[in-house]
Order: sequence, then C-alpha cells, then structure tokens
Amino acid sequence: MSRTARRVALNGIGLLAAFFFAFPVYWMVNTAFKSADQFQTYVPVFIPDFTLDNFTKALNQPHFIDFVRNSVFVSFFTVLLALVVGFLSAMALARLRFRGRKGFLLLVAVAQMAPFEALLIPIFLTIRNGLPGPLGFLPIGYNQVPTLILIYFIFTLPFTIWSLRGFVAGIPVDLEEAAMVDGASRFQAFYKVTLPLLAPGLVATSIFCYITSWNEFLYANTFMSEQTNYTLPVWLVSFRTFLGTDWGATMAASTLFTLPVLFFFLIIQGRMVGGLAAGGVKG
Amino acid sequence: MTPTPEEAPKPQGAARLYVAPSRYRTRKTILNDALPYLAISPTVVTFAVLLGIPLVVLFATSMQKFGLFELLNNVTTWVGLDNYYQVLFQTPAGLPDFVTVVIRTTVFMIVNVTLTITLGTLIALLLEKLNKWVRLILTGTMILAWAMPVVTGVVLFQWLFDSKLGVVNWAISSTGIFGNYLNHSWFATGLTTFTVITLLIVWQAIPFVALSIYAGLLSIPRELSEAARVDGGSERQIFRHITLPSVAPLMMMLIFLSVIWDFKVFTQIYAMSLNAPDNTMTLSVYAYVIGISDQQYGYAAAASVVMMLLLLFALVPYIRRMINSLEDQ
Repeated sequence: MSRTARRVALNGIGLLAAFFFAFPVYWMVNTAFKSADQFQTYVPVFIPDFTLDNFTKALNQPHFIDFVRNSVFVSFFTVLLALVVGFLSAMALARLRFRGRKGFLLLVAVAQMAPFEALLIPIFLTIRNGLPGPLGFLPIGYNQVPTLILIYFIFTLPFTIWSLRGFVAGIPVDLEEAAMVDGASRFQAFYKVTLPLLAPGLVATSIFCYITSWNEFLYANTFMSEQTNYTLPVWLVSFRTFLGTDWGATMAASTLFTLPVLFFFLIIQGRMVGGLAAGGVKG
Repeated sequence: MTPTPEEAPKPQGAARLYVAPSRYRTRKTILNDALPYLAISPTVVTFAVLLGIPLVVLFATSMQKFGLFELLNNVTTWVGLDNYYQVLFQTPAGLPDFVTVVIRTTVFMIVNVTLTITLGTLIALLLEKLNKWVRLILTGTMILAWAMPVVTGVVLFQWLFDSKLGVVNWAISSTGIFGNYLNHSWFATGLTTFTVITLLIVWQAIPFVALSIYAGLLSIPRELSEAARVDGGSERQIFRHITLPSVAPLMMMLIFLSVIWDFKVFTQIYAMSLNAPDNTMTLSVYAYVIGISDQQYGYAAAASVVMMLLLLFALVPYIRRMINSLEDQ
C-alpha cells in the first residue's frame, strides 16, 4: 500500500472509531429533542424537530426538584468536607516532616483502593441507626439524605489528599520565603502567594469530588427508601416506574443530568490523564 | 535570593504549617511538634470510623448468624466459619450458587479487561498516526464517552438496545448480514445482557486507557527512535525494543486498575438487568441482593470478605509499587 493510501485508511479508521464513541451521545441528545411520534417509529429519525416537550415533561416529573436539590446538597457538602479535611492532611504531607509520615501516606494510598462494593453491608449495618456516642445527634442513618455526604466523603477523601498533596508540593516554598523577605507576614505569604497558585489544584480536586458524589448510585440506592430522598441517579435508574417507556422524557432527563458533569469534566480532563500515578480516578 | 535559616523570620505557632521544618529546627515548641498530627487527625479519625469500624463489622458479621431477626432484636449469635462454609459449599436455599457467581465475575472481568486494554492500546497507537483534525475529533468524542455518568450510560444503552424501537436492532436488520433483528430482546438472556453491559463498560473505559497510553507514547524521547533508525532499525524493531518497553510500566498500571474496576463493577450490571438479575449476577450484585434485598447479612458479609480477599490478591502489586515509590518521598 502506498504511503498516501495508508494514511487515508488510518484516518478513515480514526473517524470510524470517533463515530462509535460519539453515536450513543448523539442518540441521547437526538431523542431528547424528538416529538413523541418521532421516537416511536421502527425506522429511527436521525434529525429531530427540536421540540422542548421532553425537557418540560422531565422537569415537571413529581419530585424532580427534590432529586435535584438532594443531589446538589449532597455533592456540595461532600466537596466542602473533603476539601477542608483533605487540605489539612495534604499540607502536613507536603510541607512537614513527621514520624509516621510514610505510614500515613501508605494508608491514604491503600484507602484509595478500598472496595466500597464489599463494604456496603458493614457500612449499612454500622450507620443505619445513626452514628455512635457523641455524634448521635447528627441526622445520619437509614433514609436520611446527609448520610450520603458522610459516605461520599470517605469515598473521595483519599484521592483529595493525594491530589492536593501533589499540587502543594508543586509550589516551591521559596516563593513564600521570598514574599516574607519582602515584608509579608506568614499569613499574607500564604494568602497572597500560595493560595492563588493552589487555586487550579483546589478546583480540579473539587470537581473530581463533585463528579463522584453526583454520579454515585449503589449507596444512594441502598440508603434512601423514600422517593423524596432519592438523588438523581437513583431516580434515573428507576425511571420506568416514573416515566414508563417514555424514552423522549428519559433521554431529556439523562441529558440534563449529564450536562453539568460534562461541563466540569472538560475542565479537568487533562489532569485526569496526567494523574494516573495517583490511581483510582474512575470512581 | 533564598534566605538562609538564620536570616529567615522565625515562624510563629500555628502559622508555620507549611514550612519544611528541617530548615527551621531552631524554635521547637510542643505545638510545632503536634502540628502535623493535629492536621492529619481529622483524616485519621475519618478513616478509623468510616473504614476501620466497617472493616471490623464486616469480619464480625461474616462470623455471625445475622438475619432480619438478629437485626431487629439486637441478638448476636456467633457461628464461626459456618457462613463461609454454607455460602461456598452448601448454597443455602433461595441463594444462587456462589462458586458460579465467582467464576462468572472472573470471566466477565477478564473479557472486559482484555477488550479495554487491547482496543485502548490500538487507539493510542492510531492516535499517533492520525492527522491533526481527525485526532482532535477522536479525542473529543472519547472524552464525551468517558465523561458520561454511569447511570446515564446504562439508561442510554437500554434505549439503544431496546427490542422494539432501539436503533441498534434497526441498524443490524438494515445491514441484512445477521438476518432480522427487529424485536430481538437483548435483555432476555444472561449472555446477551452481558454483551450490552460489556459494550457499555468498554465504551466508557477505552478513553482513559487510550489517552493515558497516548500521553505515554508522546513522552518517549524522539531521539531514541531516530537514533535507532539511523542505525538501520526497522519500524517493527523500534516498536519492539523502544516503544513497548517505554510504555510497559504504564500499561501494567492500567491493566491492574482495570482488573480492580471490572471485578467489583456494580451499577452497570445491577441497573442494566433490574428485572432478571439472576443470570447476570456477579459478586458485588450477589452481596447486594443477599444482604440488602434478602437481609441475609451474615451470608452477604461472608461473600463480601471472599470478594475482598480476591481483590486484595490483585492489590498486592499496587501496594508493593506504592511502598517502592514511598522510598523517594
């Protein structure tokens, strides 16, 4: 085969592969914009007539607002909790030498690989009646939404520490010292020099935590019994009981659910490839 | 100019959180010594409560007769290794055969990992050869598939493979090669359900593998292959002796991660076969159905322990690698 023919063939294969990756996504969006008689045909319609009916229907599902609120609430506080606790540990690991540091580092690395699928039963048995002792007052337990915050917190904490530690270590201590030579206090040096440099790392890490908690299904499905306490993934999977076989509305709901993830994912995508050494980024 | 330790302002109290103490050994206070431990204490407590306690409870539950009665009445009945014996060799009434589930999970994992790694590697190699625009398009579409939330993927693939109105059945029928697929039900048997699940998993897993290997390929210094070419090496020899050894460690890591992910995968399998989970039941679904649905916590815990031990077996190279890399920290 000549060089040109080979090149054309390879690019053709590349486009074919791109087609297979893109088609399901295209089909989701396509169906979401179809009118009812368009998605109920044997011969599929490839160009929708861009009706918004399906989105209206999805948004008007009973409790839809509850599901969105639960998902946002859980994700937000998971990110906050993981970031605060993770940041403290990351700082200690990146900037301080202390006895047991390596042991702690190993603990974080192993915790990141914890098989939460195998820990479902004991976690369920442990916190279905709330937390023990002095923490008993917290609204944690079976069918209580904040429980999911606690669970996603432990899901995301190891990665948060690992990731932030890398970002902090990447900022030279010399920069802060230089700022202090120029008369800044230690707090100012941190606030004005380190923190702005750390911002991309904080953003990337919180997006990871957000995506993990936004997408999680197993624990949400196990712990939430009442429909008003469902998160979006639980609702989406049990859609048949809500929407029957209304694929238009289902795809519209799926599109709405996916959009924020896609948006944030695009921001951190480059880092996720680079961060392979940290492992466990698939969630 | 970097200040020497003598010139640098002496850090005060808690504010010295981020100073490498080796350079500031001059003022040693109790607070400074305690600082790292204060900083990591929330994490340690979290690990202890949310990982440590469940781990202990898991082993304890696996050695108890633990059903709904015990749960409601707070009774503890120790039965030693009886749950393991029952689950592994006796198959208690109403439970699927555990050994079948383990074998099914392993085969499922091997098929998925093989497909993901093979296709991912091929696409990574392909990306190198593409022209700029096609590469951009392929990368972009892969990121779309990668970013898709798992539950969306499940619902979407159910729609694509819907027996009556699904576009896949229409497409297969239109080609005419495989006969008429209209009204073919993909979710009627275990094997065809697994086919759809595998397609979904591989579709979403290839991008990470392909883009990681592609990044690895790009980081190989060009001088190496150029030097080999000057010395008369063929493309095949360059691939065999330069490219492959350079990405081998990365590929080991990817294989290892895929093994773990595909072995414990839950959502895709459970949600895809909500109606007939029996013939697609893998280990994590088994533990869920036995434990949460049937409330046989003792059996479920024993099964989870077995699952964890199998995973631990796969984790050994990872932990070894972590310990090795800790040496340079």
